Amino acid sequence: MELDAKFEKLIKQQAKYESKNLGLNLLISRLQRRYAANRTPEEMKKCLQEMNAFFSKYFSILGKDIEALKRL
Amino acid sequence: MFVNLDKARQLIQEERILHIAADESLLKQLPPGKWIAGTTPYFITEQGGITSKDKLFVNEIDCAVDFKTAVYDRNNIFDITKDAFPNGLTFLVMPFASDVAVYYAKEAPNADDLFLYPIVGWISGFDLATGSQAKVFNGVTGTAYSDKAVALHIGLPEEKTAALGIVNIFSADEKESILEFTEDALSVTKCLVNGKEVILADYLAENNIDTKLPLVADYNSVLVNVSIKSVSADKKTVEFYAPVFAGKEYRFARSVGNYAAKFDEHLQELKNVKPVFSCNCILNYLYGELEGKATPPFAGPVTFGEIAYQLLNQTLVFAEIVNK
Repeated sequence: MELDAKFEKLIKQQAKYESKNLGLNLLISRLQRRYAANRTPEEMKKCLQEMNAFFSKYFSILGKDIEALKRL
Repeated sequence: MFVNLDKARQLIQEERILHIAADESLLKQLPPGKWIAGTTPYFITEQGGITSKDKLFVNEIDCAVDFKTAVYDRNNIFDITKDAFPNGLTFLVMPFASDVAVYYAKEAPNADDLFLYPIVGWISGFDLATGSQAKVFNGVTGTAYSDKAVALHIGLPEEKTAALGIVNIFSADEKESILEFTEDALSVTKCLVNGKEVILADYLAENNIDTKLPLVADYNSVLVNVSIKSVSADKKTVEFYAPVFAGKEYRFARSVGNYAAKFDEHLQELKNVKPVFSCNCILNYLYGELEGKATPPFAGPVTFGEIAYQLLNQTLVFAEIVNK
């Protein structure tokens, strides 16, 4: 939740962030493509839910990504 | 480890959890146990690339605290994320050209929750010199399939997690034109080249494009290849080993002179990786003449497609278990 504004910028391709985590990079790319095909608030909500689920599950190994995203 | 039939049988009888790759003639002789397998006679071992129908490549999954196997077809393949352990790793093997493999290739990038469950694996194959049918085996039941996928789900200790990685020796040639496709497809006639519609088969011929080189797309800094399977000048179709997707920009890859040297260059920063599994593509093995050449620290089957969440082409894929 704390990072939703950063995630939104990433998904809208208004910002760029490259992780060393393969799954995160593929997920960002997937959500960018999904949102580009349907630019609605509902779609953004689903995209944010997916990002938050990923970060919630892999919180313990995404520390560097979380810190970097806060500065995005 | 690259072992003979007796050693593989011994490991199974000791109730080890195993992922196995070998020629079908060997897999048929294995006893039931905690294993899954796929067919291939091609391997890159610690000693180098080799074609063999006498030995099996075995990954012992000794980090697992639990395991289960499952068999999927195109109707239920995406149950794979529901079946996976909450903290685990799934090994997935699918036969080349099977319905389930084609469906997974096209739909996986759109599947819900795909990236919440690490899935690593490969497309099983056969000896290209003699030709035969690609198969997968569920060792728990001893059943072989040519039309179904088999998965080994493992659970990991609480303090561990699985991480997947890829090594792609190709990069997009920025001097090449941008190709775009209007739909997700494994076979196309037309595409856009720098925004102009063309017949792709004609474009390839007219521009003398080396079809051994993959198309490359950027997935948020991860370069993902799509390899060309065949070009029909008569039907004006181009078939791919993995789908092209609408909304992505593709370029042809830069030519790679020495594949082994290029792998060596890319593997320098991965020397400390301790993979529980890795595999490399048959096209790299053949085009790169990797027979006799090793790719440390990675060894494993040579495959007809690689899976790291989604289907990949001309890529080395690996999984490691790391501390949380």
